[in-house]
Amino acid sequence: MAKIRHDDRGSLLAPLKALGFFTRAPVTETLAPRPASLNYRGFHVNDWSQCIGCGTCQRICDNAAITMVTIPSLPQDPARGIRNQRPAIDYGRCCWCGLCVDICPSGSIALTREYIHICRESELDSYFVLPDPNGIHGQPFPAGWAKSEVSELIDPARQPMKELPAPTRIQGFDEIVQGYEPQQAIDEAARCVQCGLCHEACPTHMHAPEYIRAIWRGDAEEAVRQIYRTNPFAHVCGRVCTHRCEQACSIGNRGEPLAIRWLKRHAMDSVPDERVRELVTQDSVAAPSGRRVAIVGSGPAGLTAAFDLARHGHAVTVYEALARPGGMPRYGIPAYRLPDDRLDADIAVIEAQGVEIRCNTPIGAELTMETLRQQYDAVVLAIGLQLGRSTRIPGSGHRDVHTAVELLRRIREGEALAPPKRVVIIGGGNVAMDIARSLARLQMRRHGAIDITVCALEDFDHFPADPTELKEAREEGVRVLASRGPKEIVIDADGGLGGLKTLGVTSVFDEQGRFAPRYNHEDEQLHEAAWVVEAIGQISDISILGDSLSERLEWDRGRLRVDENGRTAEPWLWSAGDMVRGPDVVHAVADGHRVAASIHQALQQHTEAGS
Amino acid sequence: MSEHPEGHGPAYEHLRARKSLAEILQSAAEFERKAHQFYTGLIPRVRKNLRYLVEELAAEEKTHYELFQRLAEDPEARQQIQERIAVPREDHRFSDYIQLPDLGDNPDDQAILQYALGREDAAMKQYRELAQNAPPGPIRQLFEYLANEETAHKLELEKRYYELVYGGSRMVPRV
Amino acid sequence: MRPENYQARAHPPSHEYELNFGPNHPGIEGNYALRVRLHGDRVVAARAEGGYLHRGFEKLMEGRLWIQNIALVPRICVPDPSPMEVCYALSVEALCGIEVPPRAQWIRVMQLEMSRIAAHLFTFGGHAATTGLYTNMFWGVADRDRVLDRFEELTGGRVYSIFNLPGGVRRDLPDGFLERLSGLLDYLESRLEDYDELFFRNRVFVRRARGVGVMSQQQALEWGVTGPNLRATGLAFDVRRDDPYLVYDQLDFDIVTEEAGDALARNLVRRGELRQSIRILRQVIERLPAIDGPVRAPIPNPLAWRVPAGETYTRIESSKGELAYYVVSTGGEKPYRVHVRGPSSMHAVQVLERLVVGSRLEDIAQIMFSLDACPPEVDR
Repeated sequence: MAKIRHDDRGSLLAPLKALGFFTRAPVTETLAPRPASLNYRGFHVNDWSQCIGCGTCQRICDNAAITMVTIPSLPQDPARGIRNQRPAIDYGRCCWCGLCVDICPSGSIALTREYIHICRESELDSYFVLPDPNGIHGQPFPAGWAKSEVSELIDPARQPMKELPAPTRIQGFDEIVQGYEPQQAIDEAARCVQCGLCHEACPTHMHAPEYIRAIWRGDAEEAVRQIYRTNPFAHVCGRVCTHRCEQACSIGNRGEPLAIRWLKRHAMDSVPDERVRELVTQDSVAAPSGRRVAIVGSGPAGLTAAFDLARHGHAVTVYEALARPGGMPRYGIPAYRLPDDRLDADIAVIEAQGVEIRCNTPIGAELTMETLRQQYDAVVLAIGLQLGRSTRIPGSGHRDVHTAVELLRRIREGEALAPPKRVVIIGGGNVAMDIARSLARLQMRRHGAIDITVCALEDFDHFPADPTELKEAREEGVRVLASRGPKEIVIDADGGLGGLKTLGVTSVFDEQGRFAPRYNHEDEQLHEAAWVVEAIGQISDISILGDSLSERLEWDRGRLRVDENGRTAEPWLWSAGDMVRGPDVVHAVADGHRVAASIHQALQQHTEAGS
Repeated sequence: MSEHPEGHGPAYEHLRARKSLAEILQSAAEFERKAHQFYTGLIPRVRKNLRYLVEELAAEEKTHYELFQRLAEDPEARQQIQERIAVPREDHRFSDYIQLPDLGDNPDDQAILQYALGREDAAMKQYRELAQNAPPGPIRQLFEYLANEETAHKLELEKRYYELVYGGSRMVPRV
Repeated sequence: MRPENYQARAHPPSHEYELNFGPNHPGIEGNYALRVRLHGDRVVAARAEGGYLHRGFEKLMEGRLWIQNIALVPRICVPDPSPMEVCYALSVEALCGIEVPPRAQWIRVMQLEMSRIAAHLFTFGGHAATTGLYTNMFWGVADRDRVLDRFEELTGGRVYSIFNLPGGVRRDLPDGFLERLSGLLDYLESRLEDYDELFFRNRVFVRRARGVGVMSQQQALEWGVTGPNLRATGLAFDVRRDDPYLVYDQLDFDIVTEEAGDALARNLVRRGELRQSIRILRQVIERLPAIDGPVRAPIPNPLAWRVPAGETYTRIESSKGELAYYVVSTGGEKPYRVHVRGPSSMHAVQVLERLVVGSRLEDIAQIMFSLDACPPEVDR
């Protein structure tokens, strides 16, 4: 670089050099508006139809410029993870960093290529904007800074879960899911943006954001405390919950939702059972109330109610007809999904609260509901849906036609069930998958080969079973046929079972979306099998109520009518769980809480009135 | 479905002997009234939780018989019938694959619906056959109309049946 | 210092008086003041009065998530914001042990040199204005705007780019960006001769600036002077060369020095650095297309991010000198302590207070601008 010679005084004519500028184009900028760059970070736009109201933009905003505003006219759908809130921007605070755009889980927010907003003094509130697709000035403007894969701030992929491979797991009933390593759990928990949509979607409103955060901090005991705030079936729900939280998870909009269920499982597994009991029992200090509550059925609904009531100081006795407590998680869910000892651990915590469980004590002939009414201050009926429906197609009365729930129970009771070499299963739900996979394991043990055919009415686009269940069943060698409707069960000449005849299903739903399959009568198939298992639906055995009580109770299209707190028409009787809500473990837990709260309130009022 | 408890034969003969639209409609209404009576009589025999189902079936038969009765008395009936058979109902034929139950004491919901389906199915088939055997004209149109009505009712019952029996695996819990 | 707080001092010798120079004054508008003691128009003592721009950045950073500070730090130096975000990102990366992809490192160098050019153009213009040469200021600001156009295209923001995250940069280059950057450099090169004619060889400027605000190399070292101000005393120290970061060790450029240590020398160093930055950018334009790969290393969810415990002193060469972040993490979700070593805090306080002594009143503004001090860097 040439140094300037400042001592050189230059020519006298040097100023004339300036004349040279006349020959050059002037350096000017036009006054006409020009478009901003393609990446420009101008004002916000928000696609309301895409926005889920999770408020992550508000949490990342470094200037507290974003406020979530409730818009009552917008849909609010906790189950799908949609909140009727939308971000409002205070442009007095916003610094246009665009982190809200980069982190937005739905990708609804963008910044436009709009440069200017001016207003008079009287319009100062125009700097407080509720952006919609039409932006700050009510007219659509092309987006500048928008979501891109490069700028994505949340890892869209969940931590892979270690699982037994199909050839190994098919050898027995060992639990398939092996659990997260500690670091994996921390990494998975780190993906959470703490939006709380999971909390709202969960039937029992688990404090998932809190326990996920605790896991991320490495504080498993705190996670356990948070879990037990709302769910005494902690191990069970950590394994077999229908995880509505994950359907609502905001991260699921663009990536894989957080593995909230597996994180719960991890937290529960990383604290020893005795320590869990200590942690849970620590804050239970209620004095005995002198009130007695009987609970019929020791499933999730009954035992959750028992847990709550015992912690309120009431003396709780649970009556269970079968040999061991637990209900459907014990007798309906295969051990490869939920090992017995984890269920035992949950129940031990519940018993540690002072709950007495009497097994092998059915209600009916010897011990009647009437006796319970006389002996207890309140009774909870939580017997679940323990009977399987039958298709009642021709031949369905044959001795080798079984219902899934019954077989699952017998397997879990330890009976040496001997399935034949070929089995056909009718149904496409999770119960159908459970029995298919359980029988597959037994077939493997007995015959060294698997031949199970599942015939579901639905097509794969509307398949009722969990996608994971379907995938794993197929991995294990189960043949799953969609769109097959049962026609008749074929019985051969010597009275043996020959198989199942099915028809092709052309459509499953009618114009109104009602379940009304249509068959193609030309498309008939015979699935040869020595057993047919029906896994189509379940009902409750309400014969234990007896005729007189049945008459006094109110019913709602076949189901026991209860008020919003689970109380029946009889003031001493509450009902909870699958029998009133339909089959789902976490709904049963939520129901147990609801009923317990109602009973506790009623007993307190009773006490106050009586004293 | 030949072993239908209502008896296929005598009713068929009875209807075939009717010559006027009003007569046929009166007879059809009479069948519906009998069905209504049957379901009403069944109500106390089922447990309280399932009574809603029988009550609904009884009510539906009642509307039917009232409808046929009204038509029988209505001089414009023919016109209405023609309009209503313009849209023939398609039979899904599920009921073929359901065994006819024995409605003994304390039948369950599934058995009640099975029974009702069987009834509607038999009625539908009977009217269809009568329509086929009648010469073209108002009588045939009336039988077609009646068959259509029964098919519609059967379709509705089939949906209910599926929701009840197969609904369990796809039941969405009420929150 | 607020006027209402000012207590007039008793003046012992009647020929000396005290003058509040600023906060509104030709040197830096509205945000930095000097209290000077004058004998006639000669300065006999000066006291820097900062604080007008104090927003408590360092304290604010302790209350924000690691990633949120990225949006805050550019505000510490308005004319040259890019080094702030790059240096902060580098220090967080140092604490976390994040390996930044090569492509991101090259883009960062490009951004830093673009920012240096913009900052120097601003400073020439500002200095010229203190000597009454307003044309140069208009030109400087207009040409800086052309650099800002490229910033807008690259980063989405004209001044506060907020383009870096720990781990890399937020976006890859827009299509055709390097060609347009090349066009900008062509344009700037075509202007260099004009700037020489208008400013660096302008006798008004040269005679005003020469011998004003002289600082020896020893003084500079004692006072913590860095950057062009130090190099104007003949010491070729530049963090880019002496403690290389990013990919500066793969780039070919000269360290510009001058000997005189006066206001003129400091401007001449910047004049040379403008040319060196263009030279560096030419190399980036040539080599960046061949460097593939991501522009960002994965980082954890910013809302759930703990930076491992530790401390780091990370420095880079901003247009003002050695800019450094001293960051302490106790393993939390927010920094435990962030200290910003803004080079201007030395230049605008202890250096300025001394350099103006002996000068004339009308040169105070000029000396201040020749030091290229950035008040928010002082106040932080």
